[in-house]
Amino acid sequence: MNEELTQLEAELRRLRPAPVSPALQRRIAADLSGAGAVPAPRLWSWLAVPAAAGLAAVLAQVAESRLAPAAATADGAFRPVAAEKLLVSARDEGVVTLDDGTTARRRRLHFLDTIVWRDPRTNASVTWTLPREEVRIVPVSFQ
Amino acid sequence: MANPTDHAAWQSWLQRFGPKLLLCARQWTRTRADAEDVVQEAFVRYWRHQRDLPGDPMALMVTSVRRAALDLARREGRRARRDDLAGRGGEPVGNFDSNGEGDERRAGLEEAVQRLPAEQREVLVLKVWGELTFEQIAATLDLSPHTAASRYRYALAALRHQLATVPCHE
Repeated sequence: MNEELTQLEAELRRLRPAPVSPALQRRIAADLSGAGAVPAPRLWSWLAVPAAAGLAAVLAQVAESRLAPAAATADGAFRPVAAEKLLVSARDEGVVTLDDGTTARRRRLHFLDTIVWRDPRTNASVTWTLPREEVRIVPVSFQ
Repeated sequence: MANPTDHAAWQSWLQRFGPKLLLCARQWTRTRADAEDVVQEAFVRYWRHQRDLPGDPMALMVTSVRRAALDLARREGRRARRDDLAGRGGEPVGNFDSNGEGDERRAGLEEAVQRLPAEQREVLVLKVWGELTFEQIAATLDLSPHTAASRYRYALAALRHQLATVPCHE
């Protein structure tokens, strides 16, 4: 590269890109702090498995209702946009006898449910990952 | 830094890299508002999930910004809606800081950069202000390093040609 182009390059480098606006800084701060949004899952999800399982059931209902656009959180900003159910483990606990005397097979399944929420106004998103335990009782008959 | 919302840490990072990222984002967006949107999305993603990854953070962020810009471009409805908002779309905001001295020359340079073909301008911006290597630019834009270097040389030559025909008073 000749001297003239090198000087031009140096002159370009001296131009300083315009700074980030205070408004953008505020938006990023709000995003990172989760202000006005759904609480971050890390704070509690793994500490309260039973509560999480209950909440997961509710969210699963939302997911099964095909995530209708009208669905919203209490503050009306975030909406669920994607849901995923991952089977982590399954254990066959064998044949059991229920209270009414019915013979059944009991299976215990562990899922990780992931729900993605998005605020269409800011495009901010929150991802919830919740553990869920499901016990399936299947009546059996011996012939 | 263990706390992902560490205010001072991310603000310091944003002050250092944010202006360069915004300038890069402007190469792939129609308005400064769009550029701010994609920088916000990419920065939050980086700060939450990617800042511990190995490699050059600027290169990672530029890739993330470009991806966010392409996603935004696909959401045509959202773009049209936002452009209808008063005072945002198309506002005449300069891409470079003005310090009063040499403003005429600065404006001339900025205009000349804006007149470059888009494929040359994006390489120039990523190289000069993004401070990426040709290898990193090539990876970001899905080019060969040779092509990236060629476009950079063409951009400088075109700028020199443009500026030679513009009276400059420093």
